[in-house]
Amino acid sequence: MTDTTTDNQVEGEARHGADAPSHPAAELHDPWPKGADHKYIGSLFIAAALLFLVVGVVLALVMRAQLATAEAEIVGDKTYRQLFTMHGVVSVFLFLLPVWLGLASAIVPLQIGAARLAFPRLHAMAFWIFLTGGAMVVAAPALSDVFHGWALSDPIPVKLGLPGQGPDMLLLGLVLVCMAAVLVVINIVVTILQLRAPGMTLRRVPVFSWSIMVSGAVLLLALPVLIGAFALLFVDRHYGASLFSGFTGSRGGNPLLWPRLFWFGAYPVLWALLIPALGAASEIVATMSGRKLFSRDRASVALVAVGVLCFAGWGSEVPTLTRARPLWIIGALAVMAPVALLVLNWLATMRVAGKEGDRDAVRRGFASTPMLWVLGMLPVLGLGLAASVVSALDAGRDAHANYWQVGQQHALFFGAATIGAVAALSFWGPKLWGHRLSDALGKLELLAIVGGTLLMVLGMLLLGVQDMVVHTSTFDSNDEWALANLVASAGGALVGLGLIVLLLDLLGSVVAGRGKPAGADPWGGQTLEWATTSPPPRHNFDALPEIRSDTPLLDLRAAPVPAAAGVDPEEAS
Amino acid sequence: MSLVVSRTADNLPVPASDHAPIVLPSGEPLPGPVPGRPRRGTSTIGTLLLCTASAMVLGAVIAVYFAIKEGSTTWPPSDVSVGTYIPTMITITAIMSGFSVHWGVYSARRNDGRNAVMALVLTLFLGLAMANLEWLSFVRSGFGFNDHAYGTLYDILIGYHLLHLLAAIVMLLVLSFRTMAGHFSGDRHDALRAGAVYWQYTNVVWFTVVTVLFIFSRHG
Repeated sequence: MTDTTTDNQVEGEARHGADAPSHPAAELHDPWPKGADHKYIGSLFIAAALLFLVVGVVLALVMRAQLATAEAEIVGDKTYRQLFTMHGVVSVFLFLLPVWLGLASAIVPLQIGAARLAFPRLHAMAFWIFLTGGAMVVAAPALSDVFHGWALSDPIPVKLGLPGQGPDMLLLGLVLVCMAAVLVVINIVVTILQLRAPGMTLRRVPVFSWSIMVSGAVLLLALPVLIGAFALLFVDRHYGASLFSGFTGSRGGNPLLWPRLFWFGAYPVLWALLIPALGAASEIVATMSGRKLFSRDRASVALVAVGVLCFAGWGSEVPTLTRARPLWIIGALAVMAPVALLVLNWLATMRVAGKEGDRDAVRRGFASTPMLWVLGMLPVLGLGLAASVVSALDAGRDAHANYWQVGQQHALFFGAATIGAVAALSFWGPKLWGHRLSDALGKLELLAIVGGTLLMVLGMLLLGVQDMVVHTSTFDSNDEWALANLVASAGGALVGLGLIVLLLDLLGSVVAGRGKPAGADPWGGQTLEWATTSPPPRHNFDALPEIRSDTPLLDLRAAPVPAAAGVDPEEAS
Repeated sequence: MSLVVSRTADNLPVPASDHAPIVLPSGEPLPGPVPGRPRRGTSTIGTLLLCTASAMVLGAVIAVYFAIKEGSTTWPPSDVSVGTYIPTMITITAIMSGFSVHWGVYSARRNDGRNAVMALVLTLFLGLAMANLEWLSFVRSGFGFNDHAYGTLYDILIGYHLLHLLAAIVMLLVLSFRTMAGHFSGDRHDALRAGAVYWQYTNVVWFTVVTVLFIFSRHG
């Protein structure tokens, strides 16, 4: 918000003697090595996630190139199957999951005024387990062909096909990734429960940390189900058991079990990866509006409602589950209501800010890059919710498995969650790394990624209307699918371009350090992370302001400033 | 040493140096607490969450067990006969170990190191006995891992407990050494309590497995 931060630097008086010992807080906490520092590990998670994002996007772009024109022969049907499997697995488990884990690890302790995580070394271990698992997942197709589809439901029963070690390695890698994620989640949730600064009650936890706690609870319950499922499938494949093969009545198990088990875990996980995006957007909207959320309590309740209701609709994703269909439809619809209420909460916050706030400040806030990302997320989220309503009403039908589902999932989960993650990166990146991302490039990235996502999703939804079946690797020139496919491919290419610019921006501004220095509080922040330097010292805080609400810095700013004794305000401004 | 203080648009001064506190325009550092150590019971809460996650894994396996069982004509397969002697012995041992591990924590809290070590060593022996019996139940089951879905799930469910038991034994061994070294007292025993919680959870896993495998076992 303040582009002039660096211009405003003034010489303050020396308040500590040069020989003053370092702060007691530093002595208390600095013994933790850098490798166990939550900001460092969080940054590693984010870097790894971005690396895997590149992998996932490249796979997607090859697929979109293949489908851009009729009868293209860039990749064959067999390769195409590998591509969409790996694209799905990598995007969900190796990008969306770690990017939020990383942001949460880095930001949450700062937001709640903690000096460290509850179990610092456990966090470091979790990261390296994650990276090992991720490498195994990515390397799996090099060994032999892996499953068809990211739900790994083809071929089931596994004995019908796919010899080789590839699928085994994929499953083991996923087990490691999920276990690492569970450890990270436990650590963060315990940190929120146990290490909050004095005065910060649970109701005063900032909204992003709150959303991480909700998302963490969902992941804590859903990821283990996936761990169990992957392990059992591994047992079937590797040790020749027959839990997911054979038919009822024989000595084997039940092939219909797999998709149910998988989606019981995976459906809440997808929502859990959207919840932090909603939390981050809430934080950004409030900060850039220069006021508290329209109703913080309702935002908290809405987030919890998403976390609870997302366990209700998993049956809507299982093609063979026609029993209790109305229940799945209601479940899948119900989880969207609190999301919509949360969006209304943001709009109300912005409206009040526009009516009552300082006009210039609000205009500056709304034009800031993180806020623009949130504004860009809104149409994608809206489109995703609308498409999901149609999908939900269609739950359990065969027609479900056409491109409508692909478009819906890419809007709601890929689109909204990813754009939310980028918004969070541009909002908190300056705090973590001390440099701001480029505003000019940011607008370019925004146009390309949001525009590309919308274009891609519209193309996919159109293909759904035209009933193109998912996992189709090519189509005839006299099919009506050509135009929509071209639109989707063009959108995908735009997203790819935008991501390249984003990565270059991150490399230039943050890694090479050419971005504008962030200053401690570039956005006029409301929560504790803005009360320390950028980047923060190892122990995060020397001292904390008194905490009387979920927005301590806003309170501080609203408080009457004592008469100037040390620094002359005139001189300072 | 002079500090460079930058200001935001809101005229709130912010420190530019790593170790500088936030300074109000009055020149006073902000009042307020230094971020402190974690509250008590952190390890225990972390262990409880870990147990929750582990219980969900077990839940997934049990869901598969019941789904396959309901779909089968006979369950367990007609040529399977597993006795209840070994599981009963394990159950009794588990209950005893539950008491002895609690005795250990109780003693440590009363600064009674001698009793604490005695209790923990006893618990370790009971744990090893359970592991031994479980191995016996694999060997004596009379069917192989791959013979049928029942065999697979039988081995996985008991193996899941065995895995947790072995982890708990390693954990408790370390905690016994720490008790001998006098790490725990009435004020500081969170790690020991966390270990005991994990041990009790392991017992809960066993009771669940027994209920699933041996109590609600017949079908068709």
